[in-house]
Amino acid sequence: MDLLAQILVNGTLQGGLYAVMALGLALVWGVLNIVNLAHGAFIMLGGYASWYLYTYAHIDPFLGLPLTAAVMFGLGYGLQRGLLNLVIRAPMFNTLLITFGLEVVLTYLAQLVFSADFRTINPPYAGNSLAWGPVVLPLARLAAFGVAIVLTVGMWLFLLHTRLGRAIRATAQNLVAARLYGVEPRHLYAMTFGLGIALAGAAGTLYGTVSQINPYIGASLTAKSFAISIIGGLENPLGVIVGGLFLGIVESLTTLYIGQTFADVASFGILVLVLIVRPSGLLGKTT
Amino acid sequence: MKAWQIGMVLAALLLLAGVPWYGSDVLVQFGINALLLAVLAQGWNIIGGYTGYASFGNSVFYGLGAYGVAIAMVQWQLPFGVGMVFGVVLAVVFAVLLGIPVLRLKGHYFAIATLALSQVMTAIVSNVGLAGQNIGLVLPPLNNDPLFYELSLGLLTVATLTIWGLTRSRFGFGLIAIRENEEGAAVMGVNTTLYKVLAFALSGVFSALAGGIHAYWITFLDPDSAFDISLNVKMIIMAVFGGPGTVLGPIVGALSLSAISEFLSSEVTSIAGLFFGLVIVAAVVLMPRGLADMIRRLRKTGWRYFSENIRAHRL
Repeated sequence: MDLLAQILVNGTLQGGLYAVMALGLALVWGVLNIVNLAHGAFIMLGGYASWYLYTYAHIDPFLGLPLTAAVMFGLGYGLQRGLLNLVIRAPMFNTLLITFGLEVVLTYLAQLVFSADFRTINPPYAGNSLAWGPVVLPLARLAAFGVAIVLTVGMWLFLLHTRLGRAIRATAQNLVAARLYGVEPRHLYAMTFGLGIALAGAAGTLYGTVSQINPYIGASLTAKSFAISIIGGLENPLGVIVGGLFLGIVESLTTLYIGQTFADVASFGILVLVLIVRPSGLLGKTT
Repeated sequence: MKAWQIGMVLAALLLLAGVPWYGSDVLVQFGINALLLAVLAQGWNIIGGYTGYASFGNSVFYGLGAYGVAIAMVQWQLPFGVGMVFGVVLAVVFAVLLGIPVLRLKGHYFAIATLALSQVMTAIVSNVGLAGQNIGLVLPPLNNDPLFYELSLGLLTVATLTIWGLTRSRFGFGLIAIRENEEGAAVMGVNTTLYKVLAFALSGVFSALAGGIHAYWITFLDPDSAFDISLNVKMIIMAVFGGPGTVLGPIVGALSLSAISEFLSSEVTSIAGLFFGLVIVAAVVLMPRGLADMIRRLRKTGWRYFSENIRAHRL
């Protein structure tokens, strides 16, 4: 029973991280109708940025997170403005393909620049943990979970209550109407993509403190983010929390009862099942 | 097709078929790889190019074909040909069983579902005892590169003839109708589910045969190399670069990109992968309908072709 409680806690902590990973993907998908296959690669880049900040400038990953996010925001804004806006009205397959190309470019650049070694952001408190009854809460994971939840809820409030957030939601609903109300779509699309990439960068920082980063983690992180967005639905940013927690707990339970190698089978199996049964997500509206 | 065009194609085929006699060993080995990739690109062309369903999971068929041959030859001591048939049967069963639910999805959803399937297969096969689990299987060696070369060329020819036949058959027209407007096709009396599953299975058959040949040639097989996800990248880029939904486009794309990539990886290693990524990005922006369309239209419009493509799709 203690073991099960520990597994559930581990899954929950992992799930919070998953939620923030998927948040950027869901935002870009919902507003721009681009499924960003390079999303995982941007998470990887964010992880490396924080690793360099910590290793060479000795900036704590949690304090350096806004800096990483700002740099990633700039990268995302530039990419959308200079490249992705050029193909935004092309058929769906072309935008899928161009982000796929970006994924390949980023992965190989990372391999050239950062080498293929595994890196972990390892602050001095990384080994500490809190005891809560029989359950152990690793401090770094707990902090990452907290930041993830703050970011996700913050994003939700941002979309609901700020001028830019309203403009983003309006554009997602109806581009023509939003333009008539004075939204400049080139800028707004770039802002949205930048926000998505900044969230990916933040997720990468958190990922780097609890797990290992190398240039090849991108593809599987994209797939997981996609699975979470599908399970949670695209309508509401809080959906990704549900999706993330669900996936985190299912993976932990699968690892415990069936085996480590089946964790991916479980998550992608659930993805395919959800797609087939409810294509608009477990929480999404049925159309 | 005019007579001189048929003549050109036959001459190119003879030139390719003669490579083992006048080419070096390295060229033959490069040829096997390039031809098998061309078969994969052609296989993808059926489901992605003609039917408009962008499968990111065709590597599963390739892996099933490879494992079909390996299991038949290593575990059951059957000849190569029987293994190929077994691999094809596996691929068709997979295409029908998973195609029926997955082909109901459209656009992004189909693409990602197939991507997820290809990731799941690696994990499943590495737990199957018959398939050698994580350790893999070692096939009996057959040191005969010219034979594998001619087999690959023959397979590519059959695949291309099949697609050529498709473009002038009721079935092929049905697939194109599904690509252009699926509801419309259904209204016109096309059995869309049946057509899509058949196209998926047909594309799987060619991919599985390519996988089978590759497995026997390399003589070693493990889950990671058989269900290599980057194969999806390659076959899709090659088909799209050459021209999806054309008979010869994917072959041109596969052979030209393989040659450039081979040259780059011998000159500057690790740049080859980067190059593939840059080619996709540039191709999507500048020539979204592939080389075939570009060559046809460049004569008329000149360099304006590229700026027109950008203008058509930008915000």
